[in-house]
Amino acid sequence: MIILNNVSKSFKGIPAVKNLSLQITEGEIYGLLGSNGAGKSTTLNMLLGFQQPDQGKAFIDGLDTSAHVKEVRSLIGYIPESVSLYPYLTGMENLAYFCKISGKKYADQELAGFLTECGLDTNAHHKRTETYSKGMRQKVGIAIAYAKNAKVYILDEPASGLDPVASNELSTLLGKLALRGATIVMASHDLFRVRETCTRIGIMKKGTLVKEMAAASVSATELENIYLAYMQD
Amino acid sequence: MKTIVANEWKNLGRDKGLLVASVFFAAVLIAVSIISVKEVKQSKENQQKAQQHMREKWEAIDSMNAHSAAHYGTYLYKPVTAIGNFDEGVYNITGKVLRIEGHVQNEIVYSEASQSLLMSKFGKLKSSLILQYIIPLLLIFLAFNSMSNEKESGRVKLLYLQGATTAQLIISKSIAIWIYGILLLSITFFVQLLSLPPDYDQTQRLLLLFVVFALYYYIIVIGTIYLSAKLKNNTAVLTMSLAGWMLWTIFLPKILGNTSEKAFRLPSRQAFQTAMQEDRAKGIDGHNPSDKREKELKEKVLKEYNVTDVKDLPINYDGIRMQADEEYGNQVWDKHFGNNYTLLKKQKTFYQLSGIINPFISLQNLSMGLCGTDMYHHVHFLQQAELYRRNFIKMLNDRHAFGGSKTGEWEWTENNEFFKSIKDFEYRNPALGSLLESYRIDLLCLIGWAALITTIVLFKEKKKEYV
Repeated sequence: MIILNNVSKSFKGIPAVKNLSLQITEGEIYGLLGSNGAGKSTTLNMLLGFQQPDQGKAFIDGLDTSAHVKEVRSLIGYIPESVSLYPYLTGMENLAYFCKISGKKYADQELAGFLTECGLDTNAHHKRTETYSKGMRQKVGIAIAYAKNAKVYILDEPASGLDPVASNELSTLLGKLALRGATIVMASHDLFRVRETCTRIGIMKKGTLVKEMAAASVSATELENIYLAYMQD
Repeated sequence: MKTIVANEWKNLGRDKGLLVASVFFAAVLIAVSIISVKEVKQSKENQQKAQQHMREKWEAIDSMNAHSAAHYGTYLYKPVTAIGNFDEGVYNITGKVLRIEGHVQNEIVYSEASQSLLMSKFGKLKSSLILQYIIPLLLIFLAFNSMSNEKESGRVKLLYLQGATTAQLIISKSIAIWIYGILLLSITFFVQLLSLPPDYDQTQRLLLLFVVFALYYYIIVIGTIYLSAKLKNNTAVLTMSLAGWMLWTIFLPKILGNTSEKAFRLPSRQAFQTAMQEDRAKGIDGHNPSDKREKELKEKVLKEYNVTDVKDLPINYDGIRMQADEEYGNQVWDKHFGNNYTLLKKQKTFYQLSGIINPFISLQNLSMGLCGTDMYHHVHFLQQAELYRRNFIKMLNDRHAFGGSKTGEWEWTENNEFFKSIKDFEYRNPALGSLLESYRIDLLCLIGWAALITTIVLFKEKKKEYV
């Protein structure tokens, strides 16, 4: 579903991503670990079509992300670190608005269904999002992607700032989406959450993918040790 | 785009601060419009009373020498129009009443109206003041963070991923805030429209005025939102927008007005008067019988009547001499005024062309023009008044000459019937067609600005993304 073929990207001559090759299949949740400046966000931005690779190609569902930006984006659901919604609108209204922008018009019942499915309490559906917690906004963000019928979910630091309950709910939700066939990539600093949520983990350092492993093959402590070992090199 | 516009409206509608501000502005606009309408009514009544009083005084002249009546003079009134109070333009300086009398042409060019280009508009609280200065400022405050908020919050990424484009976002957000400006505009125009008498010309002018303001608001809003997309953060956008507003509304009108006056400099009042006096002195001087021209005139008249002394003329030679003096004075005045009028027109054209860099100037020109309170209307009125004055004086001088008196009979008087027979001055504003002809530069500048920014947004921003 997601293929990165020897992708490189530099900014003002400073390499951000170097010869990155990666393949993520349907139903997989791929966790990209790395410190600040490791190239995680640049990788995600190239998948989202906001940045073009200097070298190599990125494909989503067989489409070149540089050449078919519009088509590729129609397949992607994006959940940033902090989902920013329109504060004066309710969760339902926000969802309806983003759906309409993408050309999808749903009945209120359907919209409420998406929100509920993404874990937002029914009582909160008609409350303005200015009263929402970060976790609640994230659920609306995922509902936006879900309602869009996204095949690929790209999450940038989704667990940052979430309380343990919300963080756990997020993991469960992503698990459900993966079971339905979604391809998920998440960039994070949170080793524990990545270990809990993802099926495969990659560690990036200075723009290079230095290590890949199946999440099930390591314990949380082992993952921490591996990560630290790479970071200290 | 409809979806984005509706969403913006939903957001604006739920902003309590904006609701309070809107109620305040609506109340101010309604109050100012109602006061304005009442002032027009009051001015009309006062003018009618004054006009009637002057007419009664004129018609009450029982017997008077015609030439004395020419010096008695009369007053001419600029008509009070229904929308004239919307924008007082140069009229708060020039006034609305003109006194005319024999030998005295109006020095239009040196009336303070010639300062119209530089006139400060921060005068009385008129609808035009609020709609030209305050509402655009309010629109800037509403628009400045429109795109930068989307960028700073990261929401713009989500919007792009949902399929929105920068051009769509800018245009839609502009339309939403523009509609808000249009609503505020409509309040004033609705009150004005309700107060309008069934007058096609005034209604047309009012509707066109609405379009002109709507165009300017569009330029302000889309310009600010475009900056909001281009610049890095809210502070930069607000600073830039306010700097632009100040430049357009405060500094550039003064700078460009001064430049146009310097580029096409009028002679000083003193130089103008000296030149007039010189020209006049070369010709007939009605109070100087030794003057060469008078000599020629006298010889011509004596020859015509086949007599050798003016005392033997069957008519009053004094009337002929005074009319000849008047006509020569008119020629001298036409020559000098013509020169100055050409310079004034050049100044005006230069100032109008500066609308290319400052659409506010175009708005201000059109606002005064359509309200009939600009220099164009002022000069038109004075020209008509001068024409009336010339006919009025000619009628009195001709009566003095051919009314039955003889030369030197200054005690000869005309009766009441004669004075009653002289019609009052009737003035009509120039037709809208001729007005638009002289304001086409301003209209084109406003349309050009709106079209240019829209084109830039649609084509230059088509594929750009600000994340």
